[in-house]
Amino acid sequence: MIKKLLLLLFVTYSLFAYDATVEIVKKLDTLPKIAVQDASDSSEDIYLRKKFYKLLVGDLRVSAHFRPLDKYMTSSYSGGVGENFLSKESVDLILRFRLVTVGNSLIANVKLINASSGEVRNETNYKMQQRKRFPFLAHRIIVNTNDLIGAPSIKWMEQFVLFAKYTGKRESEIVVSDYTLSFQKTIVKGGLNIFPKWANKLQDAFYYTSYSGYLPTLYRVDLNSGERRKIITGKGMLVCSDVSNDGEKLLLTMAPQDQADIFLYDLRFKQLERITKYSGIDVNGNFIDNDKKIIFVPDRLGYPNIFSKKIGGHGGVEQMVYHGKNNNSVSAIDNYIVYSSREGESEFGNNVFNLYLISTKTDYIRQLTASGKNLYPRFAKDKDTILFIKHFKNQSSLGVIRLNSNKSFLFPLKVGKIQSIDW
Amino acid sequence: MKKLVLASMSVAVLLFTGCSQKNPDVDMTTKNQKMEKVSNTNANGMNASNMDSNSMSSNSMAENNENAVKYLIANLESKLRPVNFDFDKYNIREDMKPVVASSATIWDGDKAQNLSVKLEGNCDEWGTDEYNYALGLKRAKSVKDALGARGVAVDRIMLVSYGESNPVCTEHTKACWAENRRVEFKLLP
Repeated sequence: MIKKLLLLLFVTYSLFAYDATVEIVKKLDTLPKIAVQDASDSSEDIYLRKKFYKLLVGDLRVSAHFRPLDKYMTSSYSGGVGENFLSKESVDLILRFRLVTVGNSLIANVKLINASSGEVRNETNYKMQQRKRFPFLAHRIIVNTNDLIGAPSIKWMEQFVLFAKYTGKRESEIVVSDYTLSFQKTIVKGGLNIFPKWANKLQDAFYYTSYSGYLPTLYRVDLNSGERRKIITGKGMLVCSDVSNDGEKLLLTMAPQDQADIFLYDLRFKQLERITKYSGIDVNGNFIDNDKKIIFVPDRLGYPNIFSKKIGGHGGVEQMVYHGKNNNSVSAIDNYIVYSSREGESEFGNNVFNLYLISTKTDYIRQLTASGKNLYPRFAKDKDTILFIKHFKNQSSLGVIRLNSNKSFLFPLKVGKIQSIDW
Repeated sequence: MKKLVLASMSVAVLLFTGCSQKNPDVDMTTKNQKMEKVSNTNANGMNASNMDSNSMSSNSMAENNENAVKYLIANLESKLRPVNFDFDKYNIREDMKPVVASSATIWDGDKAQNLSVKLEGNCDEWGTDEYNYALGLKRAKSVKDALGARGVAVDRIMLVSYGESNPVCTEHTKACWAENRRVEFKLLP
């Protein structure tokens, strides 16, 4: 049974993985139906157990590789006949967890059971040193479960999200979270601190701009030591828009002559190289083509749109998007570009920003959202997943789009308005 | 009863120690407060032990001067109106040109000759934040250029953009958004 499911999954993904701009609606009945059972001791905190269950089910759903059963069930950890087969529920798999708190740590014993045969296919014991980080433990369990059935990796679920949120007038905080906002830790507060950006793939340091001093200042914070180091200051505005693959170069938006241009900053030699020299607005530089080119947002057409330019040399700029009249937030991975586009050209028009996906190799444009203000799209490392900000009816949320399965999910922020994100 | 098959079961222990601490807790407010506290302590120390009447007198004069400058700044700023802009634009509207002219007269008058000005560009809540910061800056630059065209010494002007982070009106209405699209004058000693 499991082998058939795996084969079906493999065939499905082999067929549809070639172009993310082509919209695919996958048939739900091809996905394995899975139940999640709580086998924790009754002395364990019931709030934690139920929250953990919800996280697991949520992750299974967001993975788009399972059909989770929305029914909280308890069981013994060893399992009996009724608990291992769940014949009434017609499920293919059972994910059973047992939480054990030991001091500040949290242990999770997890079994993946074939509900047709009752066979325990895998048992893994996890230990999270800091109990309060349990959402990452849930994400790890689902990432591993997903790997066990041979589905395409969803390791992006374990990425730390870094975001700034406005908390008042010229006041903002920088927060580290998981993608569901279930774990949140404020790491910079006091004054206007914006545009946080991970400094490397390890996610152990980040950059951000502080407006607390005389001039906007870019800082680097080492998360392990807590050390904060000034990188550069700039008049008018200063944003770290992207970091090179090796972590040695930054794309900065700066305005030494009172208007925004894009600069390349070499951290090793502390050298600043101007990439764009347009008299209007140039912002939001992103590395593409192995860090040899950038895409960015200028207003060269009289409105914001997406352009590219080689780094170094005397090459001109190239228009990348021929759709929309207000495209003003972009990120790229390989040959895919995702951007936010305002639907309507004036404040009296439709106040909707939608996300669109294009490929530099085809002419297709795929609309990814349909309502609200959808901004700041950022690809995950697997390029099948996009994180974005959604503002809708005075609520700010993190959004996740799963391209292959054509699904999106929202995780609302309770307090504050999300300013920018990175992951 | 079916016998439970435990074949192919693998047991592994995964220990989560590799996650970064993610808790440096940079508190800009706390740092600023500490700095202010140190500065106050020094001033109090001087008052208690080392000051003679002359230094007290010169200190009082300095304080008076400082207060006079603060008063002057507050007085001039109360006369300076913000320059408002159209949606997604940074050119100065016809109806705002008299505002710029009036500001130039006030700010470049004799009383303000020793002051600098910070032009703060601001935006409404529409648009992506990085573009909005750049748009706010272009608005501030438009005002700077207009002041320069009126003979104001531009080397006394600095610009900063606050994007959408600094609204004067927080309602979600067109009138409110129009009010937030502005450049403000902040005078500096």
